[in-house]
Amino acid sequence: MAVATPSEAPAAADAARPGRFRSWLAAVGILSPPVSWLVLFFLVPIGIVAAYSVGALSFFPGDQALSLGGWERFFRGSIYLSLFWKSVRISLTVSVVSVLLAYPIAFFLALGAKKRKYVLLLVIIAPFLTSYLLRVLAFKVILGDEGLINTFFYSLHMRSPGHPIPWLLYSQFTVMLVLAYVWVPFVALPIFVALENLDQSLLEGASDLGASRWQTFWRVTFPLSVPGVMAAFVFVFIPTIGEFVTPLLVGGTRGFMYGNAIADLFGPGFDWQTGSVLALFLLAVTAALALVFGRFLQIRSVAAE
Amino acid sequence: MADDVQRVLQPRVDRRDFLRYSALAGGAGLLAACAKKTPLPAAVKATHTPVAQEPGNLEVFEWAGYELKQLWRPYAKAFPDQPPHFTFLTSDDQALAKVRAGYRPDVVHPCVGYVQDWVNLGVVQPWDTSLMPNFSQLDPTKAAAGQIDGKQYFIPLDWGFTSALYRTDKIDPADVADPSWSLYFNEKYAGKISWWDALENLVIAGYYLGMDGYAMDDTQLEQAKQFLISKVHIVRNFWTSETDMDQDFAAGNIYIAYAWQGDWVSMHNQGLPVAYLDPKEGRLSWICGMVLLADTKNYYHAHEYANAWASAQTGQWLLENYYYGHSNTTIDPSVLGKQALKLFPVADPTALQEPKTHIDRYIPNRAAYNQAWDEVKAAAGA
Repeated sequence: MAVATPSEAPAAADAARPGRFRSWLAAVGILSPPVSWLVLFFLVPIGIVAAYSVGALSFFPGDQALSLGGWERFFRGSIYLSLFWKSVRISLTVSVVSVLLAYPIAFFLALGAKKRKYVLLLVIIAPFLTSYLLRVLAFKVILGDEGLINTFFYSLHMRSPGHPIPWLLYSQFTVMLVLAYVWVPFVALPIFVALENLDQSLLEGASDLGASRWQTFWRVTFPLSVPGVMAAFVFVFIPTIGEFVTPLLVGGTRGFMYGNAIADLFGPGFDWQTGSVLALFLLAVTAALALVFGRFLQIRSVAAE
Repeated sequence: MADDVQRVLQPRVDRRDFLRYSALAGGAGLLAACAKKTPLPAAVKATHTPVAQEPGNLEVFEWAGYELKQLWRPYAKAFPDQPPHFTFLTSDDQALAKVRAGYRPDVVHPCVGYVQDWVNLGVVQPWDTSLMPNFSQLDPTKAAAGQIDGKQYFIPLDWGFTSALYRTDKIDPADVADPSWSLYFNEKYAGKISWWDALENLVIAGYYLGMDGYAMDDTQLEQAKQFLISKVHIVRNFWTSETDMDQDFAAGNIYIAYAWQGDWVSMHNQGLPVAYLDPKEGRLSWICGMVLLADTKNYYHAHEYANAWASAQTGQWLLENYYYGHSNTTIDPSVLGKQALKLFPVADPTALQEPKTHIDRYIPNRAAYNQAWDEVKAAAGA
């Protein structure tokens, strides 16, 4: 970001030619690793995916035929588009829920926990030192038909054995639950940073001027933490739209998401053209979202702090 | 740090220049990538590196559960210090897709219906059966099924059935009194059914609806697809890993599943009351075996490995532990006992004949099948 900031270079730079050459060399030297990294591992792959999406490259050698058919089928009311909106709904829910759950945690850590805050932060992140698969397996043990929750209800005779709560495992609910669980600690971080950087004297000032704690929160603390909240929101929302591992493991047939469709089309589906169309559409939407959020919500101000 | 970078850059490189350089570099990279079409080696190499000079790091793309040493003991004996390395596949389609995407094992374990696809992709070479002493013991009919244009691209090894595994204590006996694939689609057991994540469900639907499941035309395929879409709401999940399915089955999360006989054995051994459906529309069946990648650097190691798998020793172990058949004709299936042999007639030479079972075969319009299956899954989720 910082690199692309418009320069205010003085036009009188012509004066020192050898100096100019040297700094040009320095610029190339510093820029070339990140630029070539981006070009090699980001732009080129996207170019290749784009070539697949219009049939310039194909799965079976010799099948190339330029056509926009893949794009046309996608936009003409395909099931993939409705699957996309479903994924947007799931990830909106997950993002909102994670932010709501993470805010109090971040608030306590930043403003209430005093000296112990970094220890507590570590405690929150601790479960993430174990494998993701193990944690998902644990969810299966808890949510299964003969799992902890269902057997608890059986023992209280609130449900008869053999009639478990059907939506606990392998459902959209499970996907959202596991995703929210996974993301809460990561969401807490940007909010924590925003709150920690809060100028404490503002809070003191509010209290001096007679504001109640509730008023202080709503009129001072919360507005100042909004950039952190928005950053946290985007932080969850963008990666979860394309999520496919969690739905694969706990989603069952109903938790199937847009990301699973992409994975299937590139994998066993053999339809790299449609898969590329889906992938590029997702990329375009998330890039647009990132731009909108970046421009209007000043995420950069959080990042710079 | 960011400030330092900016200070160095600011006087000389403005944003427009920066973008221009990046675009130039990107364009060059893209051109290079497009120009270099991946050459898929189709030709068979005339000469091979002697076995002693081969790297010996045999990479096997295998079904989970088939990596056990009991299944390749003769290979371990021949190369005690060079155990093969295994990567696991979840379905034939997934295996083919992964190799198409650039993964290069030495040996893959697909099933007979996909051999033509592997040859079409141009990534496999024929085996030299003279390097495999055990090959002569294999059932000639099955061996013939592994030939394309007179070349032995596929060594047939394990074979067996595909049907629905179900819990006898949870399923109403009336629903299996006249055994049919209808159990797999029975709304009464909504939420307790698990399908394999593979296009074989379309094949099953095809036979259930009275068509030739492996050879449906577009109209029939559409019919099978619509049927699956109308039934998919009763399905709890599509399984991709056999172990996950076994766990779900054992945990009581599912009562009816797409399964192979090894799953029956596994559940039976855990003490679950299970049965394996023998539907009147016919079970599906399969022969799996090995293909040799065209650019393998372990040509002789690979032959030794396939030869080990073709041995009677391996076949017998496979039979006794997974109840699978093996194309080695010298093994003795009677050890399974009458009851198991009735359930899985691996001793019956006519076991794989139509219309009792429908053996896995090449689907020329597989792309259409794949697309239809993807749509069923997307429809289930949407």
